[in-house]
Amino acid sequence: MHVGNNSEDFLNALASHKGIVYKVANSYSRNDASKKDLIQEIIVQLWLSFDKYDDDYKLSTWIYRIALNVSISYYRKEKRRRVISQPLPDELLHIDTVEKEVSKQPEVEKLQRLIKELKELDRAIIMLSLDGYDQQEIADIMGISVTNVSTRKSRAKKKLRQKFETDT
Amino acid sequence: MKEPEFEELWKSYDKKLEENLSLNKKNARDITSLKVQSLLSSMRPVKLFALITGLLWVGIGFLIIIPIFLYGFESANKFFLFSATIQLTVTAAGLWIYLYQLILINQTDITEPVLETQKRLAKLKSSTLWVAQIMFLQLPVWTTFWWNETMFNEWNLIQWSIALTVTLLALYAAVWLFINIDESNKDKKWFQLLFGDQEWSPIIHSIELIEQIQEYNDENK
Repeated sequence: MHVGNNSEDFLNALASHKGIVYKVANSYSRNDASKKDLIQEIIVQLWLSFDKYDDDYKLSTWIYRIALNVSISYYRKEKRRRVISQPLPDELLHIDTVEKEVSKQPEVEKLQRLIKELKELDRAIIMLSLDGYDQQEIADIMGISVTNVSTRKSRAKKKLRQKFETDT
Repeated sequence: MKEPEFEELWKSYDKKLEENLSLNKKNARDITSLKVQSLLSSMRPVKLFALITGLLWVGIGFLIIIPIFLYGFESANKFFLFSATIQLTVTAAGLWIYLYQLILINQTDITEPVLETQKRLAKLKSSTLWVAQIMFLQLPVWTTFWWNETMFNEWNLIQWSIALTVTLLALYAAVWLFINIDESNKDKKWFQLLFGDQEWSPIIHSIELIEQIQEYNDENK
């Protein structure tokens, strides 16, 4: 069944899954400016793809897949989009309060920072795993086998653990 | 730190997001009313333009050159004729790259699984290196275009030595770069010097991503 047929559906879907957009953008951006650009690009791409959404899949899974696909291949230098009528709005998520709050939790900040040091694909697997997706769901999002997810996940977690222990 | 503790930290991060992250609905609604292309779609016209311009260049070039080969070969400047033929042939080969890139753009669906989509996107970016190879391959003919038969009679040894040295160096550089501009050399100093500029960083990154994808695919078998 198709649900993605109007902007209100889209805005509701986005409002309930904004955390995914933020987390992915935050994990793949190099700095604050590129984070805002990336959030914008993910949201644009979600909107452009929304009419293709098929609710046989969980909305969160679908959003994660698009957010990861946009983020892994994203470069600020590549901003060549041509907006036909007017510039795109900048501030789509209010992120300042979140960042202030997160900065009060050094361990969370450290975890975020160390996740960013992982390779792009390992980073995706770790985030999905920490977000509670099971191995089959991760395999569907990534397009790899469940066995491969299991191997990759344990390796990435081991790396993350080592980084966490040695990082001062 | 044990695994559950990472999960606890992540949950607390999620909680902060839940409590503090808000969507700017007005701006988000604006996005839904604007005519906007994805970054990938916005690449299509550039590639199409390059392909069409290249086709015109090659087409017009051959339209001029073929009749010279057929009807005016004896009187034509052979250096110009062969240089132009090589240049046009190499450019024609380069057009396949743009065609390949357009096919990749059309095949890429951002809603598909991550590995498949990233593989296409990484191939799309890294294929820009092929354009560089083709560009360098044309280098020697730009040093021979202007040669002509009167040079044999009028030039002295020094002039010939200079011209030949420049051409041979260009030929060596072109062949060497054509062979060596390769993903496997991305960590070499000369490669980083040549492609170290920020403009090339997405391409270098795409090569690294292809390596990661390859590792994943190897384990998938």
